[in-house]
This record gives sequence, structure tokens and C-alpha cells, in this order.
Amino acid sequence: MSKIELRGVSKAYGATLALRRGDLSIDAGEVHVLIGSNGSGKSTLCKVLAGSVRPDGGEILIDGKPVTITGPRSARDHGIGIFYQELSLAGHRTVAENICLPDLPATAAGFVDRAALETRAARYIALFDTVSGDGFSADTTVENLRADQRQLVEIMKALATEAPVLIFDEPTSALDRAQVDRFFEILRDLKKQGRSIIFISHRMDEIFAIGDRVTVIRDGETVGTEKISDTNPAAVIRMMVGGQDELAAASSAPPAVAASGRPIALALNGLSGKNFANVSFEVAKGEILGFGGLHGQGQSAVLRAIFGVNPVASGEIMLNGTPFQARNPRDAIRRGCAYVSGDRGRDGVISGRPILENVTPIHYLRQKLKLASPSALAERVKPALEALHTKFGGLSHPINSLSGGNQQKIVIARWLIDRPDVLLLDDPTKGIDLSAKADLFSLIRKLAAEGMGIVLYSSEDAELLNNADRILVFNGGQVRRELTGADRTRYNLYQAAYEAA
Amino acid sequence: MTAATISPKPGGLKRLVERYPFLPALLIALVLLALNGFYQPRSVSFIGLTGLVKTYLALMLLAVAQTYVVYAGDIDLSVGAIVSLVNVVIVVMMEKMGGSGFSVVAALCVGLLTGLACGIVNGMVVAALRLQAIVATFATSIFFTGLALYVMPVAGTPAPAAFWRTYGGRFFEIPFVFYAAVVLALVLYLLARTRLSTQLLAVGDDAQAAFQSGLPVTAIRIKGYALCGVFAALAAFCITGDTASGDPLVGGKMTLFSVAAVVLGGSALSGGFGTVVGSIIGALIIGLINSLVFFVGTPSEWQNLVQGLAILVALMAGVLVGRRARA
Repeated sequence: MSKIELRGVSKAYGATLALRRGDLSIDAGEVHVLIGSNGSGKSTLCKVLAGSVRPDGGEILIDGKPVTITGPRSARDHGIGIFYQELSLAGHRTVAENICLPDLPATAAGFVDRAALETRAARYIALFDTVSGDGFSADTTVENLRADQRQLVEIMKALATEAPVLIFDEPTSALDRAQVDRFFEILRDLKKQGRSIIFISHRMDEIFAIGDRVTVIRDGETVGTEKISDTNPAAVIRMMVGGQDELAAASSAPPAVAASGRPIALALNGLSGKNFANVSFEVAKGEILGFGGLHGQGQSAVLRAIFGVNPVASGEIMLNGTPFQARNPRDAIRRGCAYVSGDRGRDGVISGRPILENVTPIHYLRQKLKLASPSALAERVKPALEALHTKFGGLSHPINSLSGGNQQKIVIARWLIDRPDVLLLDDPTKGIDLSAKADLFSLIRKLAAEGMGIVLYSSEDAELLNNADRILVFNGGQVRRELTGADRTRYNLYQAAYEAA
Repeated sequence: MTAATISPKPGGLKRLVERYPFLPALLIALVLLALNGFYQPRSVSFIGLTGLVKTYLALMLLAVAQTYVVYAGDIDLSVGAIVSLVNVVIVVMMEKMGGSGFSVVAALCVGLLTGLACGIVNGMVVAALRLQAIVATFATSIFFTGLALYVMPVAGTPAPAAFWRTYGGRFFEIPFVFYAAVVLALVLYLLARTRLSTQLLAVGDDAQAAFQSGLPVTAIRIKGYALCGVFAALAAFCITGDTASGDPLVGGKMTLFSVAAVVLGGSALSGGFGTVVGSIIGALIIGLINSLVFFVGTPSEWQNLVQGLAILVALMAGVLVGRRARA
């Protein structure tokens, strides 16, 4: 009998179906790996089990008995502990307090039992004694720790629940080799004690090093479960890709252009900075270069560094053959560089202001406008908006009255009045509807055809495969592989993205 | 002004300020105390300091009250109204029961319960009904003021002599307010060691993380507001002892002073970081500024303006010292 079984669990956030049909069966004393591409529903499945997300349907059985998990507390009572991918630490509290936070030991009088708290925390801190690094101690405040040390605290916090079922949602993303090795030794010990462990990781080598069985999730549905000893990385990737391989590539993808002979719009040479290292590539005028790979592997960081948002540590950038080092976005815009982010709220929309004001800031900056009449501006704005089939009531309506897709069109239209030489797209279609996506990509291809150099990062693989002439696959902040021509398949994309960093 | 007196020693100072976030405030308070002594030597005498504590013990308690909700990233704009309500409730009760020693104790118990009830109402409205803390407690403050006006429509009913004589009196040659301050220190020391304090701070750090860790976030926030209500009631006792009368509007202007005291004391309004000691020092700073403005001989029509400027300067000094120490 399985220790834990999930049957047909589903969860929707508004109109987005995060989990369609999640099935999972975990035995006592096994490390069960959960794998799937970006947004396939792994984290949602784990959060349902941990009680921080309420499922819409399906059932959960523990030791064969159906249970209802009403919240994180109830999950703990049912013997489930979790490591959260985004961490659940209190930054101003100490390491020891964080480890014991879910269940602070108290004296009979109701005060925090400091001695008990420190003894308990010390037990888990000792587990990682050799690898936790400088400046790590029980009374350090968490905000003073490095990213990997914080991740260790979250691991200790999960271990301190002493729950029979432990979920680890990408626990190793910031850890170094020695820390991962130590963590795996601990996991093997727990396995021997008969504890059940759910383990999510994107590193294929880790999965095969620690896992007993693997369950693959694709588009919110459980595809299947295999014994690790009976399978291999290629087979797992094929399960993740499913039958979509033929569908995506070749047919609709643009022909691979021969970059040679065309002038180079943007060139990077050994660019390094926070979250990325040694990135080099060239984008020809009229080319669409794709950035692929898992979330947060440095794609956005590179684009933001080019645009002058984040500092560059070393390396050089050439724009149209001249050295280009933007001090800030203002500088980058003046010199013909454009950036569109998927995070409209943070980087794009001027919330609450009329559409006209939202389309014109770049025009103001590049033409150094001091005064302008709205009607003259409206004339300039119209063609840009029409090019994108933007639907809007009037230029004076606030931008918030538009749908997400139309808001993003307004943000892109900004750049169409005074054409930039290079367009950087940072996951531009996040949260927008299908028809708006189609409009966007037809415009992007048209802009490329007119000679703009375009860099496109997208977290949706189909968008990359369908639109990019070449794809650079990022992993761990570096370019791992370049896919051109017929190599641009979903299988190759996944394989490069999931390779060991 | 005070920023220059600290030489930026990296490491040690950073640790010190992180551990005792109220140090910049303490420094400012000491400077102000020295200035007070310079302009009016008698103000730093035993009697002068007794007067200061007697007048500002209420604001200190109210700042402590505010601190517990600020810990969790909330705010309570009704603390002043709670003070007013408790003030009129206890004065009316003492008067109705004849002003004996027993009536005073009974009235104080009812006063504490009133504060507790107000706090729970605030907690329910903010944490359980999930209304915006600023607006919701602003609304409850109007509601509490309305209740206070119903209990005592016009200010002026005197408190019985047994009550204010005790508050202003001495035992074994030591003023009562110092006993009160010692008891307060002990209570705060114990409260800082409860699970609730740590839990409130954890909620303030990141409510979502606290929820995912299995903490009962809603209950914790309600308890924070309840604690705030109780301390607001204690503040009302001090006000009553100081003014010796009932006034349905007495606490109104104290609300934002309590918030200012919390910030002056080095706590973060966004929650998760702070100390009650800092808030007490913050309240003292406000008190010292008020008396300094008076001692310097500011013409009465300029007093508010100078007072406001001085608080701004104190805030800036605190921020500068804190930032330099943490950089």
C-alpha cells in the first residue's frame, strides 16, 4: 500500500488551469522524483499536498485513508513537511528561530523555551556543519545569509518537522556540489528510516543519483511513473515532450537564415554579471535570436544588463559595430535599444494614466520633446497602435481599462514611433491571450523583416520554436547550446535545458 | 547632528545596531536630555524627570501598544480613541460607585476589558475580515470616539482623589510612576519572551511565508491587536492619573504621536523588525522635544512649527545613523 496517494487532483487560478489531473503515489522509504517543464503543475501539486493551496477536485489518501488537508497546519498534523521553492523564511529572525518557527518550543509558563529551541536547531545545523560556509551560525539573522545558506536553512526547517513525508521543491537550485552531496547523504539516511520523500529538481544527474522512481507531469497532467533503474535521461525527456515534438518544429518555424553577409545589429562578447557569466552571441539585422531554457537561468538578467537596468561586471557589448555600455535605461533608449518585459506592472504600464501617455514616453525621450499638442501626438500614435490591431475606446481612456494583451500592445507600440535598432523581448507574452500573442508575433516577424535585430526570451517553448531563427539554451547563467536549423526541436531544447549545469 | 558623532566602524557597529536597533534613538534621546539640561538645569533634576515620566508614561504605553501591531506589519489608528473611551469609562464608573478604593480597582478592571474588547474588534476587522488596516482602524476610531461621547458627552467629570493622588504620589520617597515604570519593564521583558512576540515578528517579515510555515496568521494578528488594546487601556489609566478628569477626546491627538514614537524607536512600519524599548525611547524623544521647545523660550505661536521641525530632524538623524551603521 502506498504511503500517500493523490488521485485526479485539479486546481485552477482564475481562468488558468494549473493542474488538470494530478496523480501521484508515494511509497514509504523511497525518493520519488517529480519532473516536468516550466508551469507543468509540479509545484501546485506539492502545495496542494502541503495545504498551502486548496485543490478544486480530486482526493488525497494517506495510509489508504482519504483525508482533507485544510491548511499548512493540518498538513503538518497529517505528517507532511515541505521545502518551498520560494522559501518560507522570516528575514529578520535568526537561523535557529526560523528552523523552529512552525512549532516554537514553549515552557510551562508559555514563554519560548530558548534552551530547547537552541538544542533542537543545533541538531539540524550540525547536519550541514561541514558545508554551511562562513558566517553561518544559529544566531545569524537570515537576511545576512547568502542565497545558498538560506536554502540550507529552509532544508533544515523542513527536516525539523520530522514529518514522515517530506516534499522538496527544487531544494538544490542554489547549492554547490559539496552541499548537494551532503544533502543527498541525509536523504539516504531518511530513506533508510522509512520516510517518504518527494523530490523536484531540474538537474537530470541529480535525479538519477538520488531517485528511486520518477513521475512525469506535462501540462498539468500526470503522464506516467517509471522506476529510475528501468529508464534513462533520454526516455524521461521523451515523456516530458510527449507527442508535441513533430507538432512544434519545422512546419511553422521560419527558415533558418544565413546570418553571414548581413550586418550585425548587436554583439556580446564574454558578458558577465550577476546571475550570468561569459555570454557571447551576435544578432544580425533582421534576425530573431531566441533565448531558451528553464526559468531564471540568466536570460532576463542578460537582457536587463544590455538595457542598462543591471550592472555589467565584465565583457563588451557592440551595437551596430560601436561599443555600447548603457549607464541606465534612459541611455540605452537614446542609443536605439528597446526592451519589453513580460512583467507589465513593474516594467511597462504607467498605471492609471491615459493610453496616449502610455504610448508616448519613448517618443518624448528620443525627440527631447518639451511641449506637444495631444492632437499632433495622436496622429503619430495611431499608426503604431493600428499595426498591432490594438483595441481601445479612446486615447484618453486609462490604460487599466484594457485587457492584459492590449496593455502589452500599448507598451510595444511605444517603441514603434521612433524605431529602435535592437528589440529585447523578455518573456513578452506572459499572461496574455492567444489572439494577442498571434498579433504580437506577426508584428515581431514583420519588424525583423524590416531589419530590426530582435532577441526573444520566452518561457513558452512553442513560441521560441515557432519564431526564433536560432535558439541559445541557458542553464545556470551560461549559454549551454545553440540550436539552429533542423536542430530546433522540443526534444533538443529540453535536453539542453535539463543537462547538468 | 548626531550622525557625525559616530565614526563608521564596520562590523562591530553594524552588529550592535542590528542587535539593539534602538541605539540611534537612545543617542538622540541623550542629546535631547543634555540640551534640556543646558537650557533649563532644573529639568534634569529628580523632580523634573519625575514630571517628564508622569506626563509621558501614557505616550510610552501607547507607543508600546502600537509596536505590537506594527511588529506584524499592521497599524492601529484607533489607539487614541481607545484611550479616550477607557478614560471616560473608568471616570464615570468611579464616580457612579462613589470613588472608594474598591470602586477604583473595579473600574480599572472594566477599563482593561474595554481596551481588550476594542483591540479584538480591530483585530477581527483587519485580520479576519481582511480590510485595510489604515482605513479600518480609522473607521473604528470614529466608532470608539462615538461610544466615548455617549458615555460622557462633555469633558470635565473629575476622577476621584484616591486615584490621581496614588498616580501622582510617592511611596517610601519614590514617586509612584517609577514603580509603574519598573513593572512595565518587567512585563515587557516577559512579553518579549513569549511565543506571540516571535510569531508577530515572523508574520510581519512575510505573512505568506508564515502561513506556509503553518502559523495561524489570522489568530496571531488578532492577538497583536488585542495586546495593543490592553496597552492602550493602560495608557488611558496614566492619562486619567495625570489629568485627574474624564475627556471623551483626550487621546485623539496621541494616535499619530504613537506611530511617530514607534518609527523614532527604529522599528520598521512594514513589520518584522523592531523593539518595544525603542518605542519607549521614541516616546521619550517626543516628550523631550516638547519640553525643549518650551525651555528654549519659543513664542507660543511658533511652538507647533518648531516641534514639528524637531521631530523631522530627529527622524532624519535616526535614519542617517541607522543607515550608516548598517551600510
